Amino acid sequence: MAEKAVLRIYRYNPEVDQNPFYREYEVPLDEVQTLLDALFFVQERLDPTLSFRFFCRAAVCGSCAVKVNGVSRLACKTRFRDLVEASGGRPITVEPLNFLKPVKDLVVDHDAAFENLKTLKTWCEPKEPIPEREYRIPPEEVKKYERPTNCILCFACYGNCEAVMDDPKYAGPFAFSRVYRYAVDSRVKDEHKREMVKNALEAGDVWSCVQCQKCIYVCPKGVRPAEDIQNVRGIAAEMGFRDYPGVRKLQHFVDWVYATGQINRLALPEEVYGVDPTPLINKFREKGAEVWEVPKPLPGLLEFRDLILEVMKEKKPHLDIDFHHVRRIDKRVEEVFKADVCTRITEKFEEQKSDFFSRFWKKLGEFFGAS
Amino acid sequence: MLEYDILIVGAGGAGLYAALWASQNPKLKVGVMSKVYPVRSHTGAAEGGINAALGNVAPDSPEKHAFDTVKGSDYLADQDAVELMTQMGPQIIYDIEHRGVPFSRLPDGRIAQRPFGGASFPRTCYAADRTGLVILHTLFDQALRQGVEFLNEWFLLNLVHDGERVLGVTAWDIRNGGVHFVKAKAVILATGGHARMYWNRTSNALGNTGDGSAAALRAGIPLKDMEFVQFHPTGLRKTGILITEGARGEGGYLINKDGERFMKRYAPEKMELAPRDIVARAIEREILEGRGCGPEGDYICLDLRHLGEEKLMERLPQTVEHARVYEGVDPVKEPIPIRPTAHYSMGGIDTDKYGRTEIKGLYAAGETACISVHGANRLGGNSLLDILVFGKLAAEDAAEYVVGVEHAATDGAEFVRREEEFIKSLTEKEPRENLGQMRRELGEVMASKVGIFREEKPMLEALEAIRELKERAKSGLAVVDRSRRFNLNLVQTLEFLNLLDLAEVTTLCAVERKESRGAHYRLDYPQRDDENYLKHSLVRRKEDGTLEHGWKEVVITKWQPQERKY
Ligand SMILES: Cc1cc2nc3c(=O)[nH]c(=O)nc-3n(C[C@H](O)[C@H](O)[C@H](O)COP(=O)(O)OP(=O)(O)OC[C@H]3O[C@@H](n4cnc5c(N)ncnc54)[C@H](O)[C@@H]3O)c2cc1C
Ligand code: SF4
Ligand code: SF4
Ligand code: FES
Repeated sequence: MAEKAVLRIYRYNPEVDQNPFYREYEVPLDEVQTLLDALFFVQERLDPTLSFRFFCRAAVCGSCAVKVNGVSRLACKTRFRDLVEASGGRPITVEPLNFLKPVKDLVVDHDAAFENLKTLKTWCEPKEPIPEREYRIPPEEVKKYERPTNCILCFACYGNCEAVMDDPKYAGPFAFSRVYRYAVDSRVKDEHKREMVKNALEAGDVWSCVQCQKCIYVCPKGVRPAEDIQNVRGIAAEMGFRDYPGVRKLQHFVDWVYATGQINRLALPEEVYGVDPTPLINKFREKGAEVWEVPKPLPGLLEFRDLILEVMKEKKPHLDIDFHHVRRIDKRVEEVFKADVCTRITEKFEEQKSDFFSRFWKKLGEFFGAS
Repeated sequence: MLEYDILIVGAGGAGLYAALWASQNPKLKVGVMSKVYPVRSHTGAAEGGINAALGNVAPDSPEKHAFDTVKGSDYLADQDAVELMTQMGPQIIYDIEHRGVPFSRLPDGRIAQRPFGGASFPRTCYAADRTGLVILHTLFDQALRQGVEFLNEWFLLNLVHDGERVLGVTAWDIRNGGVHFVKAKAVILATGGHARMYWNRTSNALGNTGDGSAAALRAGIPLKDMEFVQFHPTGLRKTGILITEGARGEGGYLINKDGERFMKRYAPEKMELAPRDIVARAIEREILEGRGCGPEGDYICLDLRHLGEEKLMERLPQTVEHARVYEGVDPVKEPIPIRPTAHYSMGGIDTDKYGRTEIKGLYAAGETACISVHGANRLGGNSLLDILVFGKLAAEDAAEYVVGVEHAATDGAEFVRREEEFIKSLTEKEPRENLGQMRRELGEVMASKVGIFREEKPMLEALEAIRELKERAKSGLAVVDRSRRFNLNLVQTLEFLNLLDLAEVTTLCAVERKESRGAHYRLDYPQRDDENYLKHSLVRRKEDGTLEHGWKEVVITKWQPQERKY
């Protein structure tokens, strides 16, 4: 008996079926190489009414992304035997990609995803003057967009994205990889880059990404959308686009954590959305709950602050610490905690400073050969 | 009813580039119809690169490029068209570069170029080994920028014309089901090649079924040079999936079972970089003469190991991936099993150098067209150039043509009714045949009898077999899926019927050409015969369905035929 595996395939033809259902098919292992071959086996030999997309069968056209045991994959790039081994004899469930409307069986309506590219305007508008021959572009620049230009728009990433799940407006990982790709291309007009980045922030909700990294994990072409998203956010910050809830939220995180070691849930609504927190505070007080207007800074925080500065100097951050803000937080902390915590922090700081200077003089002495 | 000034059918490189140029004039209503989403088109599979005489690496000129092309074509290309293409080459490259194509670069920032089969020196611009992918996606992004209107997942059924001018097309809306008449003053067919007639022995996408060429044939428009199908020397043994010529360009060796670099016996000077037809025949010969590798001796090895992992990953990442996934072989450590695979259709719809056919307003561009710039054999890297140059020229000509032309008076109901009836007849037929089985049969017949080595008797058998398959299809190949929405079974059946028509024409032309030239190699007529066959072949389908075979002169400007030696 030839080895066989069971495919459990999502079936749905809205013309006739009230609800989607699953049907199981047996596929012999040695007649197929890839999952796409297995789908063909089903369609050719067992059930010609099965619909799915495909074209190149060589992992380059992006047609065949489906959900396999919950994870987006290209059917033509998935070795069937590997799947069978990984699922340990259980049926392999094949479904359409998440978050896109079903058309029939494994086929989804991905117009919305394509439309997002149009909305964000991810294309080149060439910088003037357009040269007679080619633009001169150093190979190092080409390297920057080498990975994003690998994208085949298969939407595997879209179908597994946490942000898409929570925010239907979110343009999708692939879309931001494209924004990044054109944003670092020196041929593109600066105004157009600005517009694209602005679109990413506003129409695309780039700040909704939770950096779960799933898009990196599922991408069949080695594109790393989560990284490109971080870069787009960085570029946005550099361009001066800071007045967005996402940016403010992050600024809040950066400043408060820097100042106190924690975020401040009470100040968050105000700092991010401009909502007055007083009613909330009063509610808490009415109920007799303890209200921390500012969190108590942790002891030893100051060394940590220095460490953060060091790190930030090395790795250019997307957000700088807003020292005015931090100073204000520090002052609040002093007020609220009657300075005792802060005094300790300050003491620690002084100690460290003198320690630092003594080390400095010592080093200098060593250098000049004294002692 | 949908109405366009210019309707482009096909959204690969040829179709998209045509759309960009056609919609330059904002007054024109331009639509692009494609059976798959534009970025799925087969242009995206092109790996190696695109030729143009930029002279960035070594001094070059359009003239030299033209000569290499003409020589490569075994003198069957029309030299005026070749000169036009090679002259426009650099401008086209600069244009797509300005639109954002991320070409690989030289240290000084200019576009890098590398050697490719049949070229005298480095002339091929590339983007690692995914040149077609980045061109296709850049053009798609530009089409979004220009607001091009798409009819995605619409399947061209037939052309509608009145014997003089084109009136539009009939098409099937795959997503929703249903036949439509799409009215158009001009139609540009850019539906790609038809090498899928070799079914499992091709590098082509599953949908490269020559639908546009078949529709033209049915509409009485002649097809040209259909006997010429290029076999790429290096397809993966199991699937036909392509290993790019770039792999040899970067220095890969072809090795037989004795570990010999056998190309030294066939093309001592160019070795692995000789033109494709010569390399493909050499490999096939090695296999036939018992020097193939493996227990069955049915393949040859492409050895890249000496290039080293770093270079492989940098220059040929896709090759490495393909070998690993589809052949289970790691090219860093092992040689890749390969054999020739049907790759490119030189033949197609007969057009002049502006893409015009004999019906006014009907154009063809890209792989579905035969102008001809590739003659009997296409040089690697020339096709991507061809699709852009002639996509643009067809669009510009069409944009001029439609000014002052009125839409046809018809509402198309009659054409729609006929198509609906035909589709109904397919679904109501008693199913006695299996589509998958029939496709494999066709592929086997074509590969074994009308493949790399050809001979009268087997080809006549093939013709017989194809006609039999046509009969069987007519009586017993039914569409079993009755749904209208995304009916894959219907689309595949229509594609197969197209392949059958084109396979018949291909075989007929191959029988008629009693000489060897370029990709067409006859064991019974091993010499080129300029006296009798320095001519394009033409096939037209007559009203009664029979095929009429004829000839057409080749345009020679500067270069008289010489013997092709490498
Ligand atoms: C694996 C591979 C590698 C290659 N590498 C190179 C290379 O390195 N350099 C080079 O120059 N050439 C290369 N070629 C050849 C080159 O890629 C093709 O010749 C070229 O891309 C064809 O472009 P096209 O626009 O004519 O057609 P395609 O890109 O094939 O597009 C055809 C379009 O027509 C549409 N279509 C087809 N039928 C219908 C229908 N019935 N109804 C509606 N729409 C339809 C399709 O949806 C598609 O959009 C390669 C080819 C292959 C197979
Ligand atoms: S990292 Fe961001 S874009 Fe990627 S899957 Fe997670 S939420 Fe989506
Ligand atoms: S980023 Fe990767 S997963 Fe997402 S669409 Fe592009 S290729 Fe597919
Ligand atoms: S069929 Fe093209 S990516 Fe799978």
